[in-house]
Amino acid sequence: MRVATITSYGLSKRYQRAKKFALRDLELNITPGEIYGFLGPNGAGKTTTIRLLMNFIVPSRGEARILGLDTLTQSVAIKNRVGYLPAEVEFYPKMTGRQLLDYLCDLRRPPIPSYVNVLCRRFRVELEQRISSLSRGNRQKIAIIQAFMTQPEVLILDEPTTGLDPLMQEEFFDLLRETKAREATIFLSSHNLTEVQKVCDRVGIIRKGRLIKEQSISDIVASSVKVFDIAFASPVPETELKAISGLKFTRNSAHHATVRVKGDLRPLFRVLAKNEVRTIDRKESDLEEEFLKFYRGQS
Amino acid sequence: MWSVLHWTFWQRRWSTLWWCLGVAAFIVLSLGFYASFRDQAAQVNEILNRLPTAARALFSDTGNFLTPEGFLSARLYYLLLPLLLSILAIGLASSLIAKEEEQGTLEILLSRPISRSKLLAGKALAGLIIVLTVSLVAMVTAVIVCRLVKLPVAFDRIILATLLATLLALIFASIAFLVAAHGRARAASVGIATLFGIASYLVSSLDDVVRALRLPAKLLPYHYYRPGEVLVGNFNWRFASVLVGVVGLLILLSFLSFRQRDLND
Repeated sequence: MRVATITSYGLSKRYQRAKKFALRDLELNITPGEIYGFLGPNGAGKTTTIRLLMNFIVPSRGEARILGLDTLTQSVAIKNRVGYLPAEVEFYPKMTGRQLLDYLCDLRRPPIPSYVNVLCRRFRVELEQRISSLSRGNRQKIAIIQAFMTQPEVLILDEPTTGLDPLMQEEFFDLLRETKAREATIFLSSHNLTEVQKVCDRVGIIRKGRLIKEQSISDIVASSVKVFDIAFASPVPETELKAISGLKFTRNSAHHATVRVKGDLRPLFRVLAKNEVRTIDRKESDLEEEFLKFYRGQS
Repeated sequence: MWSVLHWTFWQRRWSTLWWCLGVAAFIVLSLGFYASFRDQAAQVNEILNRLPTAARALFSDTGNFLTPEGFLSARLYYLLLPLLLSILAIGLASSLIAKEEEQGTLEILLSRPISRSKLLAGKALAGLIIVLTVSLVAMVTAVIVCRLVKLPVAFDRIILATLLATLLALIFASIAFLVAAHGRARAASVGIATLFGIASYLVSSLDDVVRALRLPAKLLPYHYYRPGEVLVGNFNWRFASVLVGVVGLLILLSFLSFRQRDLND
């Protein structure tokens, strides 16, 4: 049995002078080589979780472990093996990107020093300019490089694609896949559903400080509502469609209907097989709608 | 820890250089006209003696501007040098932690395998080296200028007086450091340390005149700061030890406070 890379038991945090818990009884169990997406609206507790894992804040109760080490008492040993990308960082405005990376390399030597340059070339980073003169996107590239340059076993990333253009986002997703391929574990906090769907194996959805759902992406896709636009040669077979459980449809015209199905698709296709169908278009599975239901507390 | 020290010092290299130049220029300007003052010392002393005791106490701990030691203390060591060093040291002590915390760079450093204690030690050492560097420049400049303007004060006394001024500045810096390490904002850190410094100076300067201030003055560091006595050869090692002890205690409290608190709370 594989030992989990990131675990937490009853991890909770209530900030000083706050009435409510920012995070309550979080139970995590993330396996090696997994990319775990941590989804939730702003203020849900994502960053609080990350800051607890990084020992920037102290839990009010509960505990967390990374690679079997306690985040509170063995934090230095953990940080020898973890890469971290914060949600918002200004760095040192008067330093150049090169100087910043040199500083951080001094604090933790990369096992392959040339890998830093490989990443810099890959993300086309302006290293000789002062950080204050760099755009938000270029600063984010430096943030990504500093997190990945030591090729850590675990990566904790908070909103990693903020400010990146679509090309660089794709480059980043490729880097994530390569990192996963070498068995690293990635904890990725985001509210960008598309990026989570693209790269994550499993997601946890957090709302008001509580983990309300954990599911693999494939299960979510399978259980989500599928939407089809269907044009029939004959009138829409309303009676047959109404008889299918879990199916809702809207008749757009006499021959055209939009069908929403949750769960098994076979009953729908049996009806379609009995009728002449001119066109059928599948709309993208509306993961976003699924997540929004959780966010709003409708699920 | 050494990486933090090295890079913090590297980041502050230009400001340190400017501080060195500024302090040196200030000392040259303060002591450079000693020859003219000496020629008119009697008149100046007479004018100053007409001032109320309380007012004189704000300028000098000796109350005597005629002697070389009295002049040096009043012009440099009693107020202005410790004031300059305190501005530098308080600013450093608050920004080394609080500014980094406000910018979020502290978290980037602590995402590396370095303990909070070592990070704090690196920052504190860097700050100490910078203050000592500026203090060393002040000391050398004062010794040279005294020789040039024929101000007859032994150089070892000048060294001790500068060290005492540095020690006083370090006390105020340690207060700022403690407040910042405890998680307060940079403004609060600077404000509290500055307020304490000013209150300490005023209470201690006036304690000879106002009886009610005698007891509280004994609890404040300025009370133990007697540059005039040091310059005439009476360096009080016991008082200096008290100041060193207070700095040590404040730094220790800073470490204890910073070790287990929430960052950016």
